[in-house]
Amino acid sequence: LRENDVLTRLQEVFDRLFVDPPKLRMDLAAAEVPEWDSAKHVELVMAVEQEFGVNLPVGELLGIQQVGDLVKLLAATVG
Amino acid sequence: VTGAPLKALLEANDPKFWDELAVRTRAASEMEVLLELSVWRQRGLKRLPDARTRPSPLRVALLGGYTFHPLATLLTQILHGDGLEMQLQVGDFDNYVAELTGPDGELQTFKPEVIVVLPGVERCRYGGAINDPRSKVEAEAVAVAAELLRWCQTGHDLTGAEFILANHLLPARDDLGEYRSRTAASDWTFRKLVNLELGLRLPPFGRICDVEFLCHRLGATACADARRWFESKQPGSPLFLVRLARELAWLIRHGRQTPRKVLVTDLDNTLWGGVLADDGLEGIELGSTSPRGEAFRAFQQFLHSLKQRGVLLAICSKNEEAIAFEALDRHPEMALRREDFAAMKINWQPKPDNLRVLADELGLGLDSFVFVDDNPAEIEIVRQFAPQVEAIRLGPDPADYIAQVQDARCFEPRAITAEDTLRAGQYRAEAQRRELRVASSDLESYLQSLEMVGTFRDIQAVDASRLAQLTQRTNQFNLTTRRRTEAEILGLERRADVVAFSFRLRDRFGDHGLIALLIAGAQDETLEVDTWLMSCRVLSRQVEETILNQLVSRAKERGFGRIRGVYLPTAKNGLVRELYPRLGFTPTVETPARCEWELVVKDYADRPSPIRLREGSLERE
Repeated sequence: LRENDVLTRLQEVFDRLFVDPPKLRMDLAAAEVPEWDSAKHVELVMAVEQEFGVNLPVGELLGIQQVGDLVKLLAATVG
Repeated sequence: VTGAPLKALLEANDPKFWDELAVRTRAASEMEVLLELSVWRQRGLKRLPDARTRPSPLRVALLGGYTFHPLATLLTQILHGDGLEMQLQVGDFDNYVAELTGPDGELQTFKPEVIVVLPGVERCRYGGAINDPRSKVEAEAVAVAAELLRWCQTGHDLTGAEFILANHLLPARDDLGEYRSRTAASDWTFRKLVNLELGLRLPPFGRICDVEFLCHRLGATACADARRWFESKQPGSPLFLVRLARELAWLIRHGRQTPRKVLVTDLDNTLWGGVLADDGLEGIELGSTSPRGEAFRAFQQFLHSLKQRGVLLAICSKNEEAIAFEALDRHPEMALRREDFAAMKINWQPKPDNLRVLADELGLGLDSFVFVDDNPAEIEIVRQFAPQVEAIRLGPDPADYIAQVQDARCFEPRAITAEDTLRAGQYRAEAQRRELRVASSDLESYLQSLEMVGTFRDIQAVDASRLAQLTQRTNQFNLTTRRRTEAEILGLERRADVVAFSFRLRDRFGDHGLIALLIAGAQDETLEVDTWLMSCRVLSRQVEETILNQLVSRAKERGFGRIRGVYLPTAKNGLVRELYPRLGFTPTVETPARCEWELVVKDYADRPSPIRLREGSLERE
């Protein structure tokens, strides 16, 4: 899976989950988006897993600080 | 797909946005969809304020051994779809014991009306050896349940809130094999024991959110989610969270809506297979001669069990009445007979019209009706022209009928009271009383001949569930139509600024049970009647006079100079519009939305009443 495709699909997930969806870029950090708190993070993980049809291994998500981390993790997991 | 129509409506500032959102929310079964709808709700609130009048938000606290995101979002969204707004306070992870029992915690400041507790399954574990004797393990299970209930009791004492207590998810796997069922100490057996104790010991201010039953239906492996537990302390899988949120929403709503009291059934292809007028008494499918016949008979037996629980049965069928009666009276396999039905409309009139006539005859609103029919056209016409009626389409297979009615969850009791089980007998006794009335020449001698005995009681715990039920079900003889939950009723017990009592009546034909409730609150020198309601079974018995005598005597004892009566008109309580003037009150306020009357206590002379009060009826029993 190319990182660009992943980013496009991720944007759709964000559009569904955020009242004011941020425009995604690889270096967008969670801290920059006020809505992206720990509660939203849990929702996001579940929605991403659903969208990409994967189960991300336990613990991997703690490392995600910015969009690029999530894109790389997904690209690697989906293969 | 979910978002497009909502987006269009919102961009057009069309208030239909809110209806569309509610419809989609009620239909949603997946977490992702509900979360997305929740986002649309928040977007909607920003630009298109909801113009529909809604009751003020219900204050709910959600506590337990888990984190409650996204459960809280799901619950908020589901309740919104059902027309109920909620102000939610979410507890910290696994901090519920402190939150419930802390004497000056946030909980008391928040003053929740409902507290939901999801105790952590981690705490529900037997600490001893796997082969400990059964009695020892059982004692431990009782102790675990009793401790949990004690925390809830403390929380209730501090806040007065109603409780919804979840029981424990059963393990989907364990390494004991079949030995799990042969020892009380396994997680499997121990959790079941604790769940059993929680349910059987639950005080009246609580209800069980039966997680054990939910996971039994869904499958425990589909509910458990170890990864999400380790990662973010979720109670279970996304699927489970949705079902749990739906169950919680249902429990929160259930005690606050008009209960359904009547099941109206069609006949052909509903109570039996085939068309009676064409196939004849011998030709219809009913009973043990065929599998379909068995299914129809089982459905009849199911309806009969509803009747025994206090649900009224009625018939609405397009048929020849004489032929239908013959079948009900004479078919050997019929589990329901003519006398099982409280009312019947067997004719060729449109069903919505017949349902209205049935409602009049039974003295009940259409919103307490459930209608079942196998014919989709009849269901559709009822939905269109009598939308208050819950219409359930049966079929196509009669084997599914029972489940189809059960899944609609119309007749789940809030609590089964002693009055409910008495009800069938009460309707029979009512018929006997009617005969006597014909025999007695005038009302006075009729009432004397009934040999009525009444008992007044203060509010007390044993009556709370029946009294709450009365406030929720009584529409006609109800001056203010204020609904109360069991917890709210209990909150009135022994309050210095409140005069509240219930009234129970029996006569020579039987016990009517608890049939009236009066609640009045002090406002300086005046006692204002907040609630006065009475079951319509005892109209025209001069119970009103007896109750007023009691109220005045209590007002005197407590030093009140005046009693103020309030009447809030509704579509259904026109019956009591003239109650206060009839009883000698003087009008003070008269507007379309509210009327008030007053009575000067010292000028009142006890009204004669045919009801003998039981000795010592003012005492607590």
